[in-house]
Amino acid sequence: MSIADIGFILTNAVVLTCIYGMLAIGISITWSSVGLINLSYGFIFAAAGYGAWWASNIFPHNGAIVMIAGILVGALGGVLVCALAFIPIHDKPNFPVRGMIATLAISLIGSQALMAGFGPLSKSLPEIFGSGTIDFGDMVLTADKIGNVLTSIGFVALVVTWMRSSRRGLEIRAMMMNPHAAAIVGIGVRRTGFYVMAITGGMAGLAAVLLSQTYYISPFGGLAPMIKGVSIALCGGLGSVQGAIIAAIILGLNEAITGVVLGGQYVLITQFLLIILILLIRPRGIAGIVDRAREA
Amino acid sequence: MKSTLFYAIAGLTGWQRGSILLNGHEVGRTRSQGPGRYTHLIVQRGLALIPQGDEIFTGLTVEEHLDSGAFTPRAWKERRDRKERVLDIFPPLRKLMDTPVGRLSGGERRMVSIGRGLMAEASLFLVDEPSLGLSPKIGKGVMDALMSVELGGSAMVIAEQNVGLLEGRVDRVIGMHVGKLKGEASAKLGFQTKREL
Repeated sequence: MSIADIGFILTNAVVLTCIYGMLAIGISITWSSVGLINLSYGFIFAAAGYGAWWASNIFPHNGAIVMIAGILVGALGGVLVCALAFIPIHDKPNFPVRGMIATLAISLIGSQALMAGFGPLSKSLPEIFGSGTIDFGDMVLTADKIGNVLTSIGFVALVVTWMRSSRRGLEIRAMMMNPHAAAIVGIGVRRTGFYVMAITGGMAGLAAVLLSQTYYISPFGGLAPMIKGVSIALCGGLGSVQGAIIAAIILGLNEAITGVVLGGQYVLITQFLLIILILLIRPRGIAGIVDRAREA
Repeated sequence: MKSTLFYAIAGLTGWQRGSILLNGHEVGRTRSQGPGRYTHLIVQRGLALIPQGDEIFTGLTVEEHLDSGAFTPRAWKERRDRKERVLDIFPPLRKLMDTPVGRLSGGERRMVSIGRGLMAEASLFLVDEPSLGLSPKIGKGVMDALMSVELGGSAMVIAEQNVGLLEGRVDRVIGMHVGKLKGEASAKLGFQTKREL
């Protein structure tokens, strides 16, 4: 195995880490602010992929429009899920379980609808970032990898900055920390729910567009990314952006190392062993280590 | 019981019969819609609840915390002035503005909790057990600060076990026991009457 191979696998892992990490952050924010484990990301992901594909048919040579279409369709999907699975039941007893099942149902129905609408054949998106390459010693970095990493980090940074600086962001963060107190200071749970779901949906949409540079778009193609996203979010401690980022890095590295040492078919096995190990040692995820403040 | 009453007024818990008027508007919803669903509307009508046991956001800084108390549109615009006013009432918070609230001591948390309530543009402040869990000295300091608030046209209701802290400084004292009003005493009458109720 040469250095170039290791470099290839490492860069792949970094790209996947960025994309799955973005999904995980979305899942994490949704869970901690509106108390919903959103299992419909698989559908939002696939729908955003198809939205981007549709846009790419109309504007074949404009990567930015394709990407924005993906984000918008994802955000729209998030709003739709919010209206169907959050608004009607969020104040009813047993909401977490009901919400999980409702979102799962939306995911299944939506994916089948995509299959009925677009057919079972996979679609592929054009190359958004062009096809240039940069030689970096022995390694070759392709434009799509660099673009994927920069775009996902940029988008997450944008969302985090918005959450840190704006009033709506303050509302969302307040709800993440203490929903009860958030109600007391006058934060409308339902309205904030729409913001949260639109933003996290947009993140899923961008992840779909970026992942489509490596994989094809198919009606059920969102399932595997969602499972990875949920497990990363769990591992990082649901509700913490930093925790999700650290977990995504750890699991991405694990994927790369397993691929090199044992072979790619063992990746999922080591992945889940590692998640079990982390959750055995820290049942509430990695987040506690990086938290600056103790819980009340 | 006092807390339950406050929560019922804020729409944070369900109740059966009756009516809750705030500035002449009905804010109660007897048909249970789930706790907290309409609380933000009641807050917009001018209610500020300062809950028992410091319902705070542990990861927000003191400054963000105070901002979060000013969520009605006008209060948000005036939040700089309002923050100054709160800092004048609780000077120790001034140097803690960038500290996450989860790191503060119990007394400081109480100040933040009350300060957040005072940030609101409210006509009715409900203060639940402001001295609970604090040492007598700090509890008295918190109460002194509460008394120094200039209410203007607003009203403040304080639920407090330790009536001695309120002696001679409030307009009305109403006794409540197991959810029933047990009588009223003017503060000037002294508290002997109150204790016999």
